[in-house]
Amino acid sequence: MTDQNYIVEMKHITKRFPGILANDDVTIQVRQGEIYALLGENGAGKSTLMSMLYGLYEPDDGEILIRGRKVRFKSASDAADQNIGMVHQHFKLVENYTVGENIVLGIEPMKKAFGLFPYVDMREANERIRALSKSYFLEVDPTDVIADVGVSTCQRVEILKMLYRDAEILIFDEPTAILTPQEVEYLLRVMRELRRGGKTIILITHKIEEIKRVADRCAILRRGKLIGVLDVAETTTQEMANLMVGRNVDLQSRKTEAYFGEKVLEVDALSVRNDDRVQVVRNVSFDIRAGEIFAIAGVSGNGQTELADAIAGLMRVESGTIRLNGRDITRGNIRERTEAGVGYIPEDRQKYGVFLDFDLCSNLCLRRYYKAPFSKNGILDFDAFGRYADELIDDYDVRSAQGRKTSVRSMSGGNQQKAIVAREIEEHSALIIFVQPTRGLDMGAIENIHKQILAERERGAAILLISLELDEVMELADTIGVIYNGSLLKIAEASALTSQEIGQYMMGVTAN
Amino acid sequence: MNYVHNMITDGLAFAIPLFIMAVGGIFSEKSGVINLAIEGFQGFGAFCGALLATVLGMYTGMGTQTTLYFALAMAFVGGSLYATLHGLLCIRFNADQVISGVVINILGVSLTTFLTSQLSGVFYGSASNKFTLGVSDRFSVPGLKSVPVLGAVFTNIYPFEIIILVICTYLWYLMYKTRFGMRLRACGDHPQAVDAAGGDVARTRFIAVMISGGLAGIGGMCFAYSLLSQFSPSIYLGYGYLAIAALIFGNWSILPTFFVCVFFGLARAGGYQLCLFMGLSSQYTNLFMTFPYVLTLLLLLFFSKRNRPPRAAGEPYDKGKR
Repeated sequence: MTDQNYIVEMKHITKRFPGILANDDVTIQVRQGEIYALLGENGAGKSTLMSMLYGLYEPDDGEILIRGRKVRFKSASDAADQNIGMVHQHFKLVENYTVGENIVLGIEPMKKAFGLFPYVDMREANERIRALSKSYFLEVDPTDVIADVGVSTCQRVEILKMLYRDAEILIFDEPTAILTPQEVEYLLRVMRELRRGGKTIILITHKIEEIKRVADRCAILRRGKLIGVLDVAETTTQEMANLMVGRNVDLQSRKTEAYFGEKVLEVDALSVRNDDRVQVVRNVSFDIRAGEIFAIAGVSGNGQTELADAIAGLMRVESGTIRLNGRDITRGNIRERTEAGVGYIPEDRQKYGVFLDFDLCSNLCLRRYYKAPFSKNGILDFDAFGRYADELIDDYDVRSAQGRKTSVRSMSGGNQQKAIVAREIEEHSALIIFVQPTRGLDMGAIENIHKQILAERERGAAILLISLELDEVMELADTIGVIYNGSLLKIAEASALTSQEIGQYMMGVTAN
Repeated sequence: MNYVHNMITDGLAFAIPLFIMAVGGIFSEKSGVINLAIEGFQGFGAFCGALLATVLGMYTGMGTQTTLYFALAMAFVGGSLYATLHGLLCIRFNADQVISGVVINILGVSLTTFLTSQLSGVFYGSASNKFTLGVSDRFSVPGLKSVPVLGAVFTNIYPFEIIILVICTYLWYLMYKTRFGMRLRACGDHPQAVDAAGGDVARTRFIAVMISGGLAGIGGMCFAYSLLSQFSPSIYLGYGYLAIAALIFGNWSILPTFFVCVFFGLARAGGYQLCLFMGLSSQYTNLFMTFPYVLTLLLLLFFSKRNRPPRAAGEPYDKGKR
């Protein structure tokens, strides 16, 4: 019956959570010794599917076969017994333990002192770990304490944890999300090395580039359903993207021609000091007109966040002026500014953008709750809240398990951001500030946010976009300002600059 | 000279039972369960031990010293059983660990007071609020006791001090050298790691809480046989809380906690001896007995910043949480 080549088979798997069908009749078959990618947007059900293979959940329906034999996993250790290991997206490491102690936790090698007192033999364990780490190019020192090492080392420790347990089937859950480009490079090399060593790898990701570079085959999930299984070598990036999102994705956004209006924001000789009394924004001046996207490019930590915070009113201005539609708002408090027409999508959306433990409804009404019809004589009208929230949820396609009653904490990052954008855009402010609007979002969500930004531009809003992604800046901006060490080194029309030039200014080079 | 001598002897007699309670607390908190219930555990454990001692004394005619050892064992059993309540609330039902601890303390006081008065009526014919136990024997080490100053360490030792030190040495080994200890400490830092590695977080924590209850029971029993010579509600003097303070200053580590306990013991005994030395009337003793607590407050000011509690302490373990 079963093809012997398949090491993992998950057949007709269905898994429900309250309010969500996480996996709907999904079948995947993985061959021995291949890198098999699971592609899908956030919330498509990739992690849920793998959690069942790893014994964290049991499927409601369907069966799992390992090496052709049917299995039922009740816990992670059942899965480990079948040589299945998982590198989790959030590391499961004990911070005050050494690398070695973390690796052996659960299968500690024991020795007996005086033939009587059993103890954990770390010396032997560390030797074995050193040998393993050499043979797969996974550099670690088993005696380092986890609290002192970086994320990429932590990830190597997680991989070694599996290898130490003789895992044959390795599951990687979004392994590159937290890595720098160089570290990603290194990890992909390790994965190829593991494949060469005969291991089978299942890679969960929403980054098509990575799949293109290492994977042999790729299964695409969308909203809990299996859309298709592709041979990576024979499929284009665009095809995969379309299948993942479920419609044609514009990898290039369509920008209409610019029609600039009056000056909306005028910033003149603005300087800002942070809490440590360091001047982080130095003498910055620029204007944004109606219908213009002004993007600030720069390496993280060069004052761009502080600049946005100063305009939004979150930081005190040291000197200089900020004018909105000709009106001086330099000293105004935040509510005065928002009512004057400033919308703000903050960088840290969970900290400054939403109340995580409030429901979606309250979060959507945050900008209006004190005004009629939401508040009458100081008493809140929750029916009005509900009507307004439902309207926004519909218009902006904010997805959640229980509609407006959903706690925002339980929503995906992409949908949290959609909710914030909906709330801010709906105010139809004259100026909207977007700080890192697509950070951590998947392709579908990014496309969605970019469309919203462009739509606001067409409506005639002035838009200040602060982004660390040069691609995003190049794609959206009409005008680009490059910030370095708190100063704007260069302001120019986007069409007049190449990304190489911008890259130079970002490093502080002004010679040309 | 005599005052210093007494300070050391009495200080250790107080410090060592306090130490075993604190070690119990360390086990519980290192596994990730905040334990404010030590006060209740020690009282309930001591109650169980005292009950057994009374029964043995009445029906077998056993002497104080022999019943003491049975009572200590019983106090361990009673304390661990009572601790299952804390374990159930915190681990099985994910209750708030602080509230659970406080409730268990209050329940312990009322429950043991009630049971003592009921049962003492049965044993003695008339109801009273105590079981009379007597005081443990003490012994001195010949030779060593004559060493100047330090000889005090070897003078008038309660046998239970030795027992406790032996138990605590074993517990140190259990905590830092064995598989169980390694998983226990991991549970208090990152329980998800233990779960992912195939360990059982709930079970480990439950055992830790029970150990904690049992050790507190032993501590309480020792106080009943030394300071109080009886079991009565006066056992709830707050030493359980002092043990918590000790383990916090000891940074959740067994050896430093031992020194903190000794320090508390010497401070307490020192205050008392100072009062005698100055020839003050007995009403001032109570004032001097506040010494350890005033010191606690001062230490809190200086040491709070440096401390690193177990990261996951106080958090019910939730499999799904990332």
